[in-house]
Amino acid sequence: MRVKKRMIVCFLLPCILLFALIYLIPMGIVFVTSFCEWKSGGVFHFVGLRNYIEAFVNDTRMHQALKNTGIWALLQSTVHVGIGTVTAFILSRKIKGWKILRTIFMIPNVISAAALGVIFLNVFNPKYGLLNSMISTLSGSTFSKNWYFDQNSAFLTVTWSWLLYAGLVMILVLAGVMSVPEDVLEAARIDGASGLQIDFKIRLPLVRTILGTCVIISATSMLREFELIYLTTNGGPGDTTLNLPLYLYKTSLTDNNYGYANMMGVLLIILGIFAVFAINKLFRMSESDY
Amino acid sequence: MKNKRIGTLVSDILRWIYLIFFVFISIGPLLWIVMSSFKTNKEILSSAFALPSNFSFAGYEAALKLAPIFKFYNNSLLISMVSTILNILVVSMAAYILARCRFRGKTFLTLLLSSSLLIPTSSLLMPIYIIMTKIGLYDTKTGLIIVYAALGLPSSLFIIKSYFQSIPVELEEAAYLDGAGFAKTYFLIVFPIAKSGLATAAILQFLTSWNEFMFALILTKSTLARTLPLALNYFTSQFSFNYTAMFAALAMVIIPSILIYTLLQEQVTDSMVAGSIKG
Repeated sequence: MRVKKRMIVCFLLPCILLFALIYLIPMGIVFVTSFCEWKSGGVFHFVGLRNYIEAFVNDTRMHQALKNTGIWALLQSTVHVGIGTVTAFILSRKIKGWKILRTIFMIPNVISAAALGVIFLNVFNPKYGLLNSMISTLSGSTFSKNWYFDQNSAFLTVTWSWLLYAGLVMILVLAGVMSVPEDVLEAARIDGASGLQIDFKIRLPLVRTILGTCVIISATSMLREFELIYLTTNGGPGDTTLNLPLYLYKTSLTDNNYGYANMMGVLLIILGIFAVFAINKLFRMSESDY
Repeated sequence: MKNKRIGTLVSDILRWIYLIFFVFISIGPLLWIVMSSFKTNKEILSSAFALPSNFSFAGYEAALKLAPIFKFYNNSLLISMVSTILNILVVSMAAYILARCRFRGKTFLTLLLSSSLLIPTSSLLMPIYIIMTKIGLYDTKTGLIIVYAALGLPSSLFIIKSYFQSIPVELEEAAYLDGAGFAKTYFLIVFPIAKSGLATAAILQFLTSWNEFMFALILTKSTLARTLPLALNYFTSQFSFNYTAMFAALAMVIIPSILIYTLLQEQVTDSMVAGSIKG
């Protein structure tokens, strides 16, 4: 179609402006000021790589935050994707009530993460929480553990709070498995393949790219996870459950150390891009099976 | 096939245990919250499982008295709706050009706009805060509307662009030849045809805005612009000892989302699938 240049510009401009205001300019600021010392009260000068060196050499909170972010990204993209995939395969056999089950598993994914955080704060509450009450009832003696604020259990308790995001993986894999052509499955059945064999040898390989997508979503979601930690442990006890976005938030809005916070922003962007490309490669996402 | 072997029986049982466990952890806590919201403080502390002795709405009254929940509702609704309209309008116009026209720098622009998919938005928290403060949109609904419309830009662009590419170009060309201008063709012919694609993107955008927490937290400070998810943050500190009110507030926050999801689940599911599979 031939269209006047003026029209093209008119149609593109609003989107470009929006993109520039919220993505492009902020990204520019993040990159440039990550090499500066920039604090409240007008402190602003170039310091080269000092923020980065400080982060990797001296800052133990940073090491903790990086480690936690990494472990969570890894857990999320293996355990949670695994759980979601298994659930999807079970439901894909259209067992009785599979549609209701699908709805139930998705519910934690559609309510706001802030609500989910406060719900878990109550579930794991030491005084009246659901979990402690259950253990007390089952064991017959009063059980009181402060799940979120106990040094030993805090990390796993926080990890639990996004277990239910496996529901999104389930929905995606289920959509993929359902779209595997029926004649492919029929051919396998005629060749004498059992249900389990069909699952592992035919359906699973055919949803490879969807699995890749799920791993990307899960891993990168951990690079923005904020509210489920902020509203529950807020990184504590000590720094046991601190992650990179939360540390960035604290550095910029509590300590007003903007340059240092933006250095973390750069790290997050690099980690995000690296994760997407690595997972793309791992799952050979660009190749098609059909 | 009818006489099941022991093996399949065992695997059936295991499967059901797994599913029941999953059902329990998915909605058990939610049901518990809703049930507890009708109890008194004393009942909550004495037993977690007992049903409320009488269904009292005292918790709901207390919650509404302690925090302007309806105000937060209104804010959330307004901000999510306007940001969705803005996002769909602005992004679909650009998506249309990118799907239909040829011009210099198109590949570069497409790459640039889709690159935002790779950026964890948490990394831009501080500069967005500074920019919004500088242009006077800190603690305003407009500020949040603009930020949310932009946050959904990459997924909307992806969904809408592929939808445009899937509809035939002939109809538009006919309208164009009949003398309708480009803008007129777009808004009167293309927009209605692409309705379902636009709706897919809109649902996803609405959900994202409705549930967003981090930017709402850093970009607002008064009840004037605060959204529903923030009401909860307010609660944990405000009512640290009024558990009934906190449970009631939680119930008020989650029940509408759950209701809307169960009513529109096919559409919501489609949107989530479409928004996630973007290669």
